[in-house]
Amino acid sequence: MVSFELKRDRILMRWKQQKFEWIIEPRYWRNPILWSLLLMAVPFFIMGYPNILSMITMANLYAAITIPLALQMTGTGRLNFGPQLYLGLGGYTSALLNLHMGFSPFFTLIATILICGGISLLLSPITWIAKGLYFSLITLILPLAFLDLTFIYGDLFRGEVGLMGMSPMINLGRITWNYVAYYYLSVFMMLTFLFVAEKISQSRFGVTMAAINENEDVALMMGVNVNKYKVFYYVFPSIMIGIVGWFIVHTFRTFAGITYLPLDFMLKMLIIVMIGGRASVYGMIPGAYFVCFLEDSLRSLGTVNYFLFPIILIIVLVALPRGEGIYGLYHKRHPRDYFPVMRVRRE
Amino acid sequence: MLKINNMTKSFGGLTAVNDVSFSVKENEIVGLIGPNGAGKTTLLNLLCGIYKPDAGNVEFMGRNITGLKPNQVCHRGISRTYQIPQPFDAMTSLGAVTVGVINGKKRQNMTLSDAGLDASYFLEFVGLFSKRDTLSKDLTLYELRMLELARALATSPKLLLLDEAMAGLNPVEASKALDMIWSAQEQFGVTILWIEHVMKVIMKAADRLVVLQYGEKIDEGEPEVVMSNKQVIQAYLGGDDAENG
Repeated sequence: MVSFELKRDRILMRWKQQKFEWIIEPRYWRNPILWSLLLMAVPFFIMGYPNILSMITMANLYAAITIPLALQMTGTGRLNFGPQLYLGLGGYTSALLNLHMGFSPFFTLIATILICGGISLLLSPITWIAKGLYFSLITLILPLAFLDLTFIYGDLFRGEVGLMGMSPMINLGRITWNYVAYYYLSVFMMLTFLFVAEKISQSRFGVTMAAINENEDVALMMGVNVNKYKVFYYVFPSIMIGIVGWFIVHTFRTFAGITYLPLDFMLKMLIIVMIGGRASVYGMIPGAYFVCFLEDSLRSLGTVNYFLFPIILIIVLVALPRGEGIYGLYHKRHPRDYFPVMRVRRE
Repeated sequence: MLKINNMTKSFGGLTAVNDVSFSVKENEIVGLIGPNGAGKTTLLNLLCGIYKPDAGNVEFMGRNITGLKPNQVCHRGISRTYQIPQPFDAMTSLGAVTVGVINGKKRQNMTLSDAGLDASYFLEFVGLFSKRDTLSKDLTLYELRMLELARALATSPKLLLLDEAMAGLNPVEASKALDMIWSAQEQFGVTILWIEHVMKVIMKAADRLVVLQYGEKIDEGEPEVVMSNKQVIQAYLGGDDAENG
C-alpha cells in the first residue's frame, strides 16, 4: 500500500494517490530554521555554566549591533566608525529615565527609539556632505565626544563607574533562570534584527541599496532619490543599535559609557563586520560568535592575549578565502545575492 | 521637445559652455560633435542636472527643468549613458537594470519580481539575456556599453543622452551597436542626443548635427551641410592643414 522510493536528494512516499517527500540533501534543508532551533537548544546543554551562557548572550548582542551596522554601511555606501554612539545614547536614555523619572522598561524603550531617531535624523545630513574618509572620521569622533561628556557631567552620567540599579526587564526569581531568559531575549532580538535586515535587502529597497553602495552618482542618474535613502539607512539602523543599548540596561542592570563608547569596542564591531562576512547581514552572527569565543578563550592566558587576539584576527582576515569572511565559507554563492563591497571612497 | 536656451557654465576662469542654444525635436537623432574639450560632456551634465548652469535654461516637453536634481530629471524622462562605462561592479546585469526599472518611471505596485521581468526584457533587447547572472565587472567593453543602454532604457526615457557610445568598439561591434540604437529609437520611441567622436557612425545616424568648439556653438544643420562648413573642418583638423590638404 505504502511505497517508499529513494531519489538522489529526497525520499518519496506514496500512499494511494498521494505523494509525500522528505529532502535529505543537506544543502536543501531550511538552514535558517535549523540554525534558529540550534540557538534555541543551547541553554539546555550549558545550563550549569552561566559564564558561558552570558558570553553567548553577549555574542548575540554584538550580532544585534553589527547587523544594523552592516545594513547602514551598505545603505549609506560609507564606513561608519562610530556605531557605539547610538548604543551609548540608547543606554543612557533608558538608564537615566529609569533611575530618575521611574519610567518602566516599556516607556524607556519608546524614549530610546525617539531619542536615537531624533539625534540620528539631526546628524543624518553628514551622509550627504561627508564622503569617504571624512564620513568615517566624523563618525569616529562623535562617540568619543559623547564619552568625554559622560566624564564632564559626571554627576549625571557617572562616567567612571557607570549607572547601576536599573529595573530588570523580567525577574524570574532565580539568577540562572534570569540568565536563560535574557539569553532567549537576546536571541529573539538578534533574529528579529536579522529578519528585518534580510527583508530589506531582499526587497526592491535592497536592490536600490546595493546600487547606492556601488555608485551613488549613477544611482542618482537612474532616478534613485539617494539623499532620502541615505537618511533612512542612517536613521533606521541607528535606532536598532539604540535598542541594543536599552536591552543592555534592563538586563545587565548596569551601564557605563567607558565600556561601550571607547575605540576598542568600535574596533571589535568593525572586526566582526569584516570577519563575519564583509557586511553581509547573515555573516554578522558567526562573526560575533567567533570574536566572542576567541576573546573569552584567550582571556585565561593572561597578558599574552593583548597581542595574540589581534594577531589571530589578522591571520583570519587574510586567510579567509575570497575576502568574504566566515559566512563566505558556508553559504552557497549565487550571483544574484548582492555581496557588499566595502571601500573607503576617495572621491 | 528639448530646448536649450543661452546655456552658460564656467569653472573658475574657464568657460566650458558659452551661450549655447539649440533644440531637439521629437523622434530625432541629433549628433553633438566637436573636438576634445569643446564642452560636449559638460553640456550633457548640465542637461542631466549634475551641474547647475550659470545662465540660460533648459525646457523639456514644454516645462523648465533647469536646476532640477538628476533623479527628478530622470523622472521627467531624460536618461543617459556614460563615456567611460560606470557599471555596478558587484551586481549582476539583471540587478543593474532592475534598479533602473524600479526607480525610473513611477509605476504602481511594482514588486521586485515584476521589475525583474521588465529588466529581463531590456536585457533581451540589447542581447545580454544570457549574461543576466554575470557580475558587471566580468563583462567586456561592448557588453558594458549595451548594459548601459539597457540601464538607460529601463527608466523609460523620452530623451536618451548617449555619451560616446562607440568609443573603444571595433567596427563590427560599432555597427551592431548602431543597429541597436536605431531599433531602440523605433521600438521605444525615444529621441536621442548623441555625443560622438566616430564621424562615420554619427554621419550615418544623425538627422542633424550640432558642432561645439571652445564651448560655443559654431554650426548646426544636416550632416553633409555641416561637414562642408569651413569653420567645422578647421575646428577638427586645424586651420592650415585643412586649407593645404
